[in-house]
Amino acid sequence: MMNPSHNQTVGSRRRFLFELGAGLGPLALSSMLQGDDKVPHHKSKAKSCIFLFMEGGPSHIDTFDPKPELSRRHLSEFNRSGEQESAMSSGKRYFVGSPFQFSKAGQCGADFSLPWRHLRGVADDLCFYRGCQVESVNHPTACYHVNTGNRFGGDPGLGAWVTYGLGSINANLPGFVVLPRNAYPQGGAANWSNGYLPAQFQGTPLRPEGSPILNLQAPAELGRARQRSNLDLLARLNRHHAEGHPMQDELEARMASYELAYRMQMEVPGVVDLQGESPRTLERYGVGNEPTDAFGRKCLLARRLVEKGVRFVQAYAGNWDSHDYIARAHGNLIEAVDRPIAALIGDLKERGMLEETLIVFCGEFGRTPDNGLRSGGKSYGRDHNAKAMTLWLAGGGTRAGHTLGATDALGAEAVESVHPMRDVHVTLLHLLGLDDNRLTYHHAGRFKQLSQFGGQLIQGLLA
Amino acid sequence: MVNSVAMRLTASPMLQWGLILGLMLAQIVAEAKESSRLSRGEAEGLFAAKIQPLLEQRCHACHGGDPDKIKGEYTMLTGRAMRRGGQTFQPALVSGKPDESPFYLAITWKSEDLQMPPKENDRMTPQQIGWIRDWIMAGAPWPKDMVAARLAAGNRWNAPGEVTVPTSGGLSDAWTQRTYEPARLWAYHPLRKPVPPGKGHPVDAFLRARFPEGVHFAPRAKPRALLRRVSFNMTGLPPRPDEMRSFLKDTIRDPDKAWAHVIDRLLDSPHHGEQMARHWLDVVRYADSAGFANDYPRPNAWRYRDYVIRSFNEDKPYHHFVREQLAGDTLKTDDPEHLIATGFLRMGPWEHTSMSVFRVTRQQWLDDVTDSVGQTFLGHALQCAKCHDHKFDPLPTRDYYRMRAAFSTTQFAGREAPFLEQENTEGFDQAERWTRAKLDQYRLQHSKLKARVDKLRKQEFSAAKVGENGLDPGDENSLARMNKNIQKHVWELDKVQPIVLSVYTGNTVTRNNIGKRLLLPKDPWAKGYLETDHILTGGNVYAPGEPVTPGALSAVSSLGGMPNPDFPEGRGNRRLALADWIVDPSNPLTARVIANRVWAWHFGRGLAGNPNNLGVTGKLPTHPALLDWLAATLVEEGWSIKRLHRIILSSEAYRSSIQHPEKVAMDQHDPERLSYAVFRPRRLVAEEFRDAMLAASGELNRQLGGVPCRPDMNPEVAMQPRQIMGGTASVYEPDPLPMQRNRRSIYAEKTRGLRDPFLEMFNQPGPDKSCELRETSTIAPQALTLMNSGEIQDRSLAFASRVLSESTSDTAAVNQVFLLALGRSATPHESRACMQHWRDAAKEEEGKQHEPHRYATRITRTVMAEKTGEPYTFVEHMPVYESYVPDLQSSEVDARTRALAQVCLVVFNSNEFAYLQ
Repeated sequence: MMNPSHNQTVGSRRRFLFELGAGLGPLALSSMLQGDDKVPHHKSKAKSCIFLFMEGGPSHIDTFDPKPELSRRHLSEFNRSGEQESAMSSGKRYFVGSPFQFSKAGQCGADFSLPWRHLRGVADDLCFYRGCQVESVNHPTACYHVNTGNRFGGDPGLGAWVTYGLGSINANLPGFVVLPRNAYPQGGAANWSNGYLPAQFQGTPLRPEGSPILNLQAPAELGRARQRSNLDLLARLNRHHAEGHPMQDELEARMASYELAYRMQMEVPGVVDLQGESPRTLERYGVGNEPTDAFGRKCLLARRLVEKGVRFVQAYAGNWDSHDYIARAHGNLIEAVDRPIAALIGDLKERGMLEETLIVFCGEFGRTPDNGLRSGGKSYGRDHNAKAMTLWLAGGGTRAGHTLGATDALGAEAVESVHPMRDVHVTLLHLLGLDDNRLTYHHAGRFKQLSQFGGQLIQGLLA
Repeated sequence: MVNSVAMRLTASPMLQWGLILGLMLAQIVAEAKESSRLSRGEAEGLFAAKIQPLLEQRCHACHGGDPDKIKGEYTMLTGRAMRRGGQTFQPALVSGKPDESPFYLAITWKSEDLQMPPKENDRMTPQQIGWIRDWIMAGAPWPKDMVAARLAAGNRWNAPGEVTVPTSGGLSDAWTQRTYEPARLWAYHPLRKPVPPGKGHPVDAFLRARFPEGVHFAPRAKPRALLRRVSFNMTGLPPRPDEMRSFLKDTIRDPDKAWAHVIDRLLDSPHHGEQMARHWLDVVRYADSAGFANDYPRPNAWRYRDYVIRSFNEDKPYHHFVREQLAGDTLKTDDPEHLIATGFLRMGPWEHTSMSVFRVTRQQWLDDVTDSVGQTFLGHALQCAKCHDHKFDPLPTRDYYRMRAAFSTTQFAGREAPFLEQENTEGFDQAERWTRAKLDQYRLQHSKLKARVDKLRKQEFSAAKVGENGLDPGDENSLARMNKNIQKHVWELDKVQPIVLSVYTGNTVTRNNIGKRLLLPKDPWAKGYLETDHILTGGNVYAPGEPVTPGALSAVSSLGGMPNPDFPEGRGNRRLALADWIVDPSNPLTARVIANRVWAWHFGRGLAGNPNNLGVTGKLPTHPALLDWLAATLVEEGWSIKRLHRIILSSEAYRSSIQHPEKVAMDQHDPERLSYAVFRPRRLVAEEFRDAMLAASGELNRQLGGVPCRPDMNPEVAMQPRQIMGGTASVYEPDPLPMQRNRRSIYAEKTRGLRDPFLEMFNQPGPDKSCELRETSTIAPQALTLMNSGEIQDRSLAFASRVLSESTSDTAAVNQVFLLALGRSATPHESRACMQHWRDAAKEEEGKQHEPHRYATRITRTVMAEKTGEPYTFVEHMPVYESYVPDLQSSEVDARTRALAQVCLVVFNSNEFAYLQ
């Protein structure tokens, strides 16, 4: 199942619940359940990653990158044309200032728009980056790009690479867990695909509604005893069939996968159940209150998963695609994530986990300083912008209390410390102890890597 | 040298490096062998012939002439600069002393911290490292005249037979003049038919000739296993019990005649085309939607799917198959079949929205189709050559853009073409009825909501703020959502129209966005512009370089000894010229590629291990002569694929058992089972899994072709809100009747943004990238699917019910389960165990009440409104549930049937069901 290059790039092969394959005898089963780490490429603080994916493209101009000049030009008109403009961004355009005031927070004096009421409390733990540029202005291609390094999808997600490189610490949980919204993002599950990596590296969505994992439970009419009995009959039939069969290992692995599935049915519900958390914790994350409940649950679950040894958790929030009514839309969205994220960072810090947990806050692109005018300027928003955005990192060996890079006076384009997304990927891997140039997988005649063709470390983001 | 290395060492680089170098030195000195010293002239020749091209290719990107890209302040463009070094090392190269030269130590990758080039792909081979060592030992001389030194060196540094390859020319001389190991160019050499190295079946003779010492063919597989194997391989379906009976009977009389008869029957089966089409559609990335933000329907793609099925069933000569798909629209403009075939050119995911820049999306398609043609027909992924001359294949960027130019007058259109007699139009009424019902509901909702919003807008005073006057942006969101879905469903109505997903030749017309069928213009040259063809520097559409004219892969022509192709320009028929070049009998790649694919479809592995990559980086063929013999025979036999099947199936190799009596010898000499002395078992693929369960349960509707069907799908996935541009896509609604839903999986509607979780779970590849061969992974969620999902429950229940209705006794019923699912009777031991299981389950079921499932005709969903960042709720109608007839439900059968269903479920889960022997 593994291809030969696998052994060249990672120290030891480890197996965990979702990683079942050829060569797995009964003895291997016990070691599979214990789990063992792979050896990273270099020492690093971060052991796991929580990626807060701000789907839809949050506006840097209305969150963390104030543009007073833009407010001065509010509703001033200009024309743009040219073969590099899309239908959306050409023609008569108007600059629009941010509806939000900004203020500075923390020792470091980081910029926050006023709707951020809680996150500013941990300003000195964050490392803002304003220099990133991406390659696409359409949601699914941009999401694929940020998630997998390839605009057109079909490649492994960042979480798949990290799990492939580091393995999972917990034998009973997948190494890469996704916490999607009830509506999957544009581009769907390909955003957390295993691509050409073996299937066990695929992100496992824990769905917010219904069964957290599809088909986790048997139909209600069937008792657990019935299922146990079915598995016992299955084992008898399989034993008979396996006699003299040349693929003992593969057949045994398949039999073992049934036993593990059976155990998952009992264990997974416990992981997603937040009942065990104190009322204070629930309150802190905003669980049980609107509008923070949905993302509060995700942040709290992310902490629990990381505590249990999951390598990579990706939590989705959105939709930040505010072409109109940005004051109302971004205002609401910030409120929905502000308290949960601040709680997550504070909670990790108190538990001594922040240093070994890399937190990423990132959308698929930023937004434009200008807009086509809608409803006489009452409902303005912003369009997609691949040339400027703000993302931030926290914990895991990042440079806390620092802002790297800058956009121009209008926030239209990054002009300082400018890097393409692949350099951010290289940097994230580096923070997790992995070298993008060595975290490769031989597929279709080529060693493939997350950055596609290699990238550059962004030194300024490191502590 | 590279940034990451250099920067990590800012504190005291020289000190740290001293330590590392010291350690490495000790290691290398210990390993160093005496190498004979080269003369200065020899070393210059070596540098010019081998090292300079290597530096250019692997090092100059970061250590070359572009000041913006230089890493660690180290450039390697001149001998002086190379010696001098950069930020970290000074000097970097010490003449005569490789072991004291950081440059040399870096390329050996001996230290964890000093490894250059940094990428796995670019790592130097031991031979290349040796060259550089010898060159440094000889004083690292830098020739004044590189070309002269290269010429003077001649073949001195080439491996025996190592060759340069004439091409249309790389972007640099060094690339153009580089040499290749001839073994790696095997696929480019003219195809000649080798003489089989022995008597008997040629396939077996070729295989035997490469058997390791003492290895023989395994005995023949038992007839039951063999029939199950060949039936799945040829049709994707299990043999029926009567087919099994007669094959067993015939085999006793005359095994060879029985086998020949089975081959005939399977080749004549209409389901043969379905199975071959499944393979083909994996390669070309078939889907019924366009993917990305809108994931618009491709309502007529199904006609291409059925064209592929027909082509395999009719044994269309492969060269016709290729020409039709590439240029059918220009071959016979009045023949619908020829138009349908060009759907191939439209298979990749593609869209153009108002957010996109037209030139960019147009380029995406051109790149996509060029690469797809390369992978599909020529066994070469071409995308690497989009930005640079290919690092390994003799494929210059120029060739890439020449081949791409064959498509730069190709334009999209939904063209009219009447339905053929062979096309299945039976599902039209249902498809249209559902789409119209869906549309009616949306339009009704839309008009009500719009009236409300319009009224409020009128009342709005000029200084109104959002949300005042009851004007809710959530409502505006809903209007946008309805509009988008109306647009999609209107397009979907095309499904039953005589339209083809096709192309025409003409000017390129810039568009703002594309959200409906594109029409065929009266004069394709009237509007728009004739695209000019250039090399695009670095693949950037805004950086046109040297102009190119349409063409093909020059190395294939030159090494294959093909006549010089004549490609028209301007308004000429460029695609046809490319198609003709591909199917030219002297094209060395085409026949090898398809023969290798067909072999892989039978044996689960290609003779050349990467069916999409026969180039320098693909796996070398294990049996090159056999592959050539098959390919040459294919051409000789008029490109008949069915003849090829016949040859392969009639071999001893295909009929071998999966068990080899000389296991010890096999493990020793052929641990990877590359010899084909024994047959390799395989797991059923996703579609086979589902189809085989439906076949066993008796529910399978074996009808051929037609508009995509919609099977039942896990309801949590089917009803889950799915974001598209402008809102939430309509839910997935299955077809209303079991016979409409329970068709073969190849007919299941394939929406890129909504994969069927059952099929995806068993490694059905996503339709965004070409899949050369299916993967098999074993993961715990598969077990959850096969124990708990609606699919397995439904099939097991129907299977039990069928078996009971066909059996006269309980033991006969259990036996029938084994016969239908596994193609054999139950052993007494199995029979006893299953009977006991059945009785126990029946006891539990006795007296239990199962409630029939009720289906709602509307669903209320809450999603986040893009315009407000707040949740809003809407109702969607699901017209199918007004007439939905579920598959057999547990409430409709007695306890005995439900209990037997548990036995059926276990058998469906068994390894024997899942694996072919």
